[in-house]
Amino acid sequence: MRAATRTLTLLAATLVAAGCARREGAAAPVAHDHHAATAAADEPRASLHDLDLRWRDQRGAEVTLSAIDGDARVLALVYTSCEATCPLIVGSLKRIEASVPASKRAALRLVLVSLDPARDTPERLARWGAESGLDPARWTLLSGSDAAVRELAAALGVRYARQPNGETAHTNVITVLDRDGAIAHQQTGLDASRTSIDAVARLLP
Amino acid sequence: MQAIMIGFFVSSMVTVPAGTFRPLYGRASDAPLPVAAFALDRDPVTRRDFLAFVRAQPSWRRSAVKRVHATPAGYLADWRDDLEAGDADDLRRPVTNVSWFAARAYCTAQGKRLPTILEWEYAAAASATRRDASREPAFIQSLVTRYASRRHPVPPVAEGETNAYGVRGMHGLAWEWVDDFNGVLVSDDSRAVGGRDHDLFCASAAIGAVDPTNYPAFLRHAVRAGLTGRTTLETLGFRCAR
Repeated sequence: MRAATRTLTLLAATLVAAGCARREGAAAPVAHDHHAATAAADEPRASLHDLDLRWRDQRGAEVTLSAIDGDARVLALVYTSCEATCPLIVGSLKRIEASVPASKRAALRLVLVSLDPARDTPERLARWGAESGLDPARWTLLSGSDAAVRELAAALGVRYARQPNGETAHTNVITVLDRDGAIAHQQTGLDASRTSIDAVARLLP
Repeated sequence: MQAIMIGFFVSSMVTVPAGTFRPLYGRASDAPLPVAAFALDRDPVTRRDFLAFVRAQPSWRRSAVKRVHATPAGYLADWRDDLEAGDADDLRRPVTNVSWFAARAYCTAQGKRLPTILEWEYAAAASATRRDASREPAFIQSLVTRYASRRHPVPPVAEGETNAYGVRGMHGLAWEWVDDFNGVLVSDDSRAVGGRDHDLFCASAAIGAVDPTNYPAFLRHAVRAGLTGRTTLETLGFRCAR
């Protein structure tokens, strides 16, 4: 028992992220419970539409995920006052957007959901979206209840926690959803987005 | 204790008074976190409780549950059918093989919610006689023994031990869902120090284990770290809070 405790102590007394990393490391192992990866070929896949969550977009309109109309939806959870990895996540989504030929871009949607909905009101999201150069024709910025954010994050395998200093610590995950709301691909960490680009290309033939 | 009438069933809740608590992970310099008073179910939610819920809400029955909400192969796997949860003894057991989404839906239907990690750990730090026994080696060791000698199937809730708050069965019956199970970002891998995990997380503080000797707390942490919202386990149930 004491040996086990020592081993656990060694394993678990760990420093996590002294500062948000800006370097792009190797892609981390894919998050667990990927519906696309684990479902049998002929089984229906889980759809995030079935979460039945309500949001307000940057225009203040009430929207559901199912109403964001696109053959490929690229989704990430960020927040506007996050100054470290969130801009890198948005950058990755922009690269994914740029990878799609202009003729096919109408079927692509990029969705950012705020981890800090109390501060990220629709008005703030609209301002931030404009400042960040996000075309509202393709980019939807969502603000919802704490419960909705918690459920969406749970369904995506995103971990997050409000810190005492007001920041929100969170994992860096980019998700590609197909038209039916099933997860076609997920990218964890800040890699070069190549795999997400490929997944989006497959959904926009 | 307050008694809340839910249909024909009485579900007792206990008031857990306000206090402070030092969670397992944090910075050594952090002050203990305040915990506001809250009500907590005296017992885990039973099969009888959950059966009443799925009777009233068919979309949460085993044959109807959405895949995004629960892994279909595991959800209520130990029930004989949608509305067949076992014999009289079985109905008194904590319901297990339920996902986080299902547990949330149940609590919401009762006008309640799941407890947070902080609330759950705060209430679970109590021994039979002392509210915060988290620094008592004898109590901690007793939990190790209890976790190692868990019985299958999970015993009825009446066999749960009552702690100093009047809450029953926090340890030794089943693991329990919490509202923010996905709110723990700490890696269990010591190689993460200066390693690849830096690009997985955005967090500006160095976080370490505040109490490296609390093995049961690490075990609970490890269980939570492996969960997804649709996970179902034979050893995982829940209770509600308000």
